[in-house]
Amino acid sequence: MTATVAPTVGPGRVPEPLPELIGQLEQTWRDEPGILGWIKSVDHKSIALRYMITAFVFFLLAGLQALGMRAQLARPENTLLGPDLYNQFFTVHGTTMMFLFAVPVMQAVGLYFVPMMVGTRNVAFPKLNAYGYWTYLFGGLFIYAEWWFLNSGPDVGWFSYVPLANSVFTPGKRADVWAQGVTFTEIASLAAAVEIIVTVFKLRAPGMTLNRLPLFVWAMVVQSFMVLFAMPWVATATQFLAWERLVSTHFFDPTRGGDPLLWQHLFWFFGHPEVYIIFVPALGMVSSVVTAFTRRHVFGYPAMVLSLISTGVLGFGLWVHHMFATGIPQLSESFFTAASMVIAIPTGVQIFCWIATIWDGRPRFTVPFLWVIGFVVVFIIGGFSGVMVASVPFDRQVHDSYFIVAHFHYVLIGGAVFPLLGAFYYWFPKVTGRMLGERLGRWQFWLFFIGMNLTFFPMHQLGFEGMPRRVYTYLPETGWGPLNLLASIGAATLAVSVILLIVNVWSSLRRGLPAGDNPWDADTLEWATTSPPRPYNFALIPVVDGRGPVWRHPEGLPVFGGLRTDVRDVLLTTLLDAEPDSRHRHPVPTIWPLHAAIATTITFVSLIYTPWGAVVGFPLLFIAFVGWAWPRGRDHREQQVIEAERPVEVAS
Amino acid sequence: MTGPRVVGSAANLPTTTFGHRSLVWWGTVGFMLIEGTTLFICAASYFYLHHRVSSWPPAGTPRPSLLAPAVQVVLMLLSIIPVAKADRAARQLDVAGVRVNLVLASLFAIAMCVVRGFEFAALNVRWDTNAYGSIAWANVVAHGTLLLLETAETLVFTALVFSPNLEQRDIAGVSDNSLYWYFMTGSWVILAAIVYLSPYLS
Amino acid sequence: MTLLLQQALQFPGRLSALAPTGPEAILIRDWLWRPMYATALVTYVLVVGALLWAAFRRRSAPAEEGAPEGPKRRLGLGVGIATAVTTVVLFVFLVATMQVSRATTTGPGPNPIRIRVTGHQWWWEVEYRDARQDQWFTTANELHLPVGRPAELELVSPDVIHSFWAPNIHTKLDLIPGHENLMRFQADSAGVFRGQCAEFCGAQHGKMAFQVVAQPPDSFAAWESRQRQPAPEPADSLARRGRDVFMGGSCPLCHTVQGTGAGGRLGPDLTHLAGRRTIAAGTLPNTRGALAGWIVNPQGVKPGAKMPPNPLSPDDLQAILAYLETLK
Repeated sequence: MTATVAPTVGPGRVPEPLPELIGQLEQTWRDEPGILGWIKSVDHKSIALRYMITAFVFFLLAGLQALGMRAQLARPENTLLGPDLYNQFFTVHGTTMMFLFAVPVMQAVGLYFVPMMVGTRNVAFPKLNAYGYWTYLFGGLFIYAEWWFLNSGPDVGWFSYVPLANSVFTPGKRADVWAQGVTFTEIASLAAAVEIIVTVFKLRAPGMTLNRLPLFVWAMVVQSFMVLFAMPWVATATQFLAWERLVSTHFFDPTRGGDPLLWQHLFWFFGHPEVYIIFVPALGMVSSVVTAFTRRHVFGYPAMVLSLISTGVLGFGLWVHHMFATGIPQLSESFFTAASMVIAIPTGVQIFCWIATIWDGRPRFTVPFLWVIGFVVVFIIGGFSGVMVASVPFDRQVHDSYFIVAHFHYVLIGGAVFPLLGAFYYWFPKVTGRMLGERLGRWQFWLFFIGMNLTFFPMHQLGFEGMPRRVYTYLPETGWGPLNLLASIGAATLAVSVILLIVNVWSSLRRGLPAGDNPWDADTLEWATTSPPRPYNFALIPVVDGRGPVWRHPEGLPVFGGLRTDVRDVLLTTLLDAEPDSRHRHPVPTIWPLHAAIATTITFVSLIYTPWGAVVGFPLLFIAFVGWAWPRGRDHREQQVIEAERPVEVAS
Repeated sequence: MTGPRVVGSAANLPTTTFGHRSLVWWGTVGFMLIEGTTLFICAASYFYLHHRVSSWPPAGTPRPSLLAPAVQVVLMLLSIIPVAKADRAARQLDVAGVRVNLVLASLFAIAMCVVRGFEFAALNVRWDTNAYGSIAWANVVAHGTLLLLETAETLVFTALVFSPNLEQRDIAGVSDNSLYWYFMTGSWVILAAIVYLSPYLS
Repeated sequence: MTLLLQQALQFPGRLSALAPTGPEAILIRDWLWRPMYATALVTYVLVVGALLWAAFRRRSAPAEEGAPEGPKRRLGLGVGIATAVTTVVLFVFLVATMQVSRATTTGPGPNPIRIRVTGHQWWWEVEYRDARQDQWFTTANELHLPVGRPAELELVSPDVIHSFWAPNIHTKLDLIPGHENLMRFQADSAGVFRGQCAEFCGAQHGKMAFQVVAQPPDSFAAWESRQRQPAPEPADSLARRGRDVFMGGSCPLCHTVQGTGAGGRLGPDLTHLAGRRTIAAGTLPNTRGALAGWIVNPQGVKPGAKMPPNPLSPDDLQAILAYLETLK
C-alpha cells in the first residue's frame, strides 16, 4: 500500500518517496544549468531570493544616501552636499526605501515562504513571478543609471508634489525618471500581490482550512489585497504626472481648471496604505518568531486575524491626515482624526496578544526573539507619536518638521526593519542551510538598537524647535546643530551595525553551523522539509489537520500522493476548506518573462522622451505576450496515464 | 519510527477545470480588481475636477458627440453573444464551437478598436485644452488599454484554437478570456455614461 | 567674529513650539501636547514593563503545550482590559482634538489686521491690505504685527506649494496655487520670532525663512506709517550715483522701489530694505558686508536662487550699497 514511500521519516518531516522518484522529481523541477538556466528560472525560491538580495542592495544604497544626508546636516551651513545633490539624495533615499526596498523585500519574503507555509511547490503563476522580478530590477537600475550617468536623479521628493514636479518648475527629465521608475515597481508589486493571493486561495495543502493558516500567511494575504487596491492609485497618479509633463495635460494646473490637491489625494490614497503594506507583513513575521521562541501559538488567533484585516481596511481611511496643513474643511478633519486614532486599536490588540503569548510561553532569547522585543520597545514610540499627529491641531504644528521624520522612522524601522531583521535571522537557516552567528547577531542588534534611537529620538525635539524637513542646511543661530550632530553619530552607529550583519552573513555562508531541517523547533510547514529546500519543496504534499502541523506530528506528517513526478504537477484545493480539487500543470523554465520585462522597460523609458515610445513599445509587448502564452508543443505523455506513485487508499 | 501515513491521492483529480476551480480564473479576477480600481480612480478624478468648477464642460468647450460611444456600447453588448457562446463551448470542450465564436469575437474586437478611434474624436476637446479635456481623455485611454489587451488576448486565443499544439487545458483559458470581456464591456457602459453623458447633465 | 556677533544680535531667540506666545500655539501645547505626552509616557512604561515582565518572569513549572483554562482566561481578560483602556484613551484624545481644533480655527477677534502673504521661490511677499487700497504697502520676509490685535493672513502662491510656519505663534498652513487659505492668529507679547517654509519647494527650500516681529501697538503704528512712504530722495552724491547704477542695471526688472521708476515684481520690494533685519529670506543679517556679498554673488549664498550674479565694479557696488542704505 505504501510501497512507493520510504519506510522511515524524521520527526515533523514530510516523508519522502523512493530515491528513484526523488531523482525524477528533482529532474522535473530543477532549474536548467548555467547562466541561461538561472535567467530562465521560474522557481519561486530562486526568484524570491534574487528579490531579497536586490532589495538589500537597494537598502544599502539608500542607507549610503542617508549617511550622506546626515553628514551634510551634522553641522550648520555645511557645504558637503549642495542643495542640488542633497535634494536628489533625500528624494532617491525615500523612493528607494519605499519602492525598491520595503515593499519588494516584504513581498519577496512572502514569495519565498508563503508557498512553503501552505505546503505547495511553487507560486500560482511562476512566469508572472519571474516577470515581476525582472521589471522591478530594471526599474531600480533605471532610476540609478539615470542618476549616476545622466545627472537625472529625481529631486522633487518621494511624493513629487505638483506644481513643483511639473515641467515648468522641474524642467529636464528628473521628475519623469521618478514617475516612470516608480511605475516599474508598481507593476512588480501588483504581480507579486496576485501571486500571493492566488497561491493562498488555491494551492494550500489539503486540510489547511482558512482558520489553520499561519498568521504570516494571513498577513501576506491582507498585504496583497492592500497592494491590489492601493498601487493603482499611485500608478494612475504617476501616469497623469508623466502625461502632464510629456503631452501638456492639465490635471493639476489651477489655471486650466486642474488642482494641485488632486495629486495629493491620489498620492496619499496610495501613500498611507503603503505604510501598512510595509508594516502588515512585519506583523506576520513577529507572530512567526513569537510562536517559535515561546513554543506557543500566538494567543487569540481570531483576534489576531481580525486585527490584521481591520488594519488593512482602516489603512484606506487615513490618507487625508497627510494633508491636514492644506486647509481642508473641519468636518473631514474630524473624520480623519478619528480614523487615524482608531487604527491604533488593532495594532494594540496584536501587541497585547504577543505579550500574553510570551507570558504564557517559555521564551528563548535567541537573536530573532531579541529583534521582536526590540520591535515592541521601538515601534510603540512611533505608534504614540502616530496617535499624536492624528490630532489635527497638533499635526499642523509638527507636520513636515523633523518630528515627523522621527515619527515615521520609528514606525518603519521599529515596525518593519526590526521584525524583518528578526525574520532574517529566523529564516536564514532555512534558505541557506546554515545558522547565523548568535554572538555577532547580538552585537548587531544592540548597535542597531542604540544607533536607531540615537539617530531618530533627537529629531522629535528638532521638530518642536521648528526644523522643517527636507532642508539641505540650516543656520547656526537656529540652535539645531548639537542635536543634528547627535543624530549623525547615531547614523554612523547604524552603519556599523549593518556592516556587522554583512560580516555575519559572509562568515556564516563560509563556515556557519549546519542548520538541519528545523533548528528552532518551529511549527509551520516550511520547517518540514530540507534546508535549503529542494526545487519541488515537498516530495509528497503534506496534509494538515490543525494549526502548527509540525508540532502536531512529531512522528512525521501525513501526506497526499498521486501527483506526477515527470511533469510539474501541483495540487489545487478548494477555497475555504482546502479539499483536494484538481491538478494543475506548472510551466517549465522560460526566457519569455525576461523578454516581456525588456519590452516593458523599452516602452516606459522611451515614453519619457517621446509619446511615440508607445508605438514602439506596444508591438514589442505583444510579441513578448504571444511568446509567453503560446504552448510549447503538445505533451504526448498526457495520453498515457502515468502514475508516479500508485494511487493509495486512504489510511486510517 | 512508524511509516508515513498516505491519506489520499491526487491521481484521479481532473487536470482541466473551469471558473473558480481554475488558477487562471483567479488570476483574471485579480487583474480585473486592479484594472477596476484604476478605472474607478479615473472616474473619481473626473468627478473631483468636475466638482471644482461651476460649468462643465468649461465655457467655450463643446459637449461630446454621442454617436460613436452609442455605436460602441451597442457593439460591445452584441459582442457578448459570441463571447458567451465561446465560453459555453469551451466548457463543453467543443473545439469547433470555440473556433467559430472566437473568430466572431475577434472581428468584434477589431471593430471596437476602430470605433474607439472615433470615440476620441467624439470628445470634441483635446487633452491639452483644459483639465476637463485631460480627464475625459484619461478615462477613454485607460479603458482603451483594456480594450487593446482584450483584443490581443482574443486574437492569440483564436490563433491558438486553430493550432495543432492545442491542449485540453488551454481551452479553459477561453472561458477566462470571456470573463474579462464581460468586465471590459460592463466597465465601458459605466465610463461612457460618465464621460459622454454627464456633461449634458450640468 | 564681528559678523557672528552681529548675527547673534540680529537673530531672534530659538524657535520652539513648546515656548509659545500665540494663544493657538499655547492651546496646542497645554491641551494636546502635554496630556498626550504624559499619557504616552505612562502607557509606554506599562507596555514595555508588561513585555519585559512577561519575558523575564520567574517560571515555576515546566512549560507545557495546551495550558489549562485558567491562564487562558486570565490572558484574555488582560488583553481585553488593555484594549478597552486604549479605546477610552483614544476617545478622550479625539474629543480634546475636536475642542482645540474648534478653538484654534474660529474667526479672529474684531478688527483683524489683513495681510496677504505670497510664497515665492524662495522668499515671502508680505502685503498689508488696509481698508483703503491707497494705504496698501508691501514688504518682504518680515511680518510685523501689533501685539494683542488679531491678524488674518491670506496665504497664496503663484508658483509651487509653500507652507507658512512660525511655531512659537501658530501652526502651519500651506500656500497652494489655485487655493486661498486663511490663517488667523495673534501675538500676545512683543518679540521677534523666526519662521520657515515647511513644504518642500525646490532648491532653496532650506533658506526660505522669515521673521515675525510682534511690536507694541504704537511702535507698530510708527513702522506702518513709515512703510507707507515712498523711498526718500538720496541726499549725498554717492547714493545718487548708486541710484543711477541701480536704475540703469537689471535691478528694476525684478525689484520695486516705490517713488522711483523701479517696478519689477519678481523679487522683493526694496522700498524700505534698509529697515529690515535680514536679507535673502532670513538667511543673512542686513549688514553692508552681507548685502554686498549677496548682490555680487547670490548663487554663492543660495545656489539656484532666481537672482543672477551682478559683477559690479567696486565703485559701483559701493554706490549701490550707499543707495540701498538710504531706503529706510
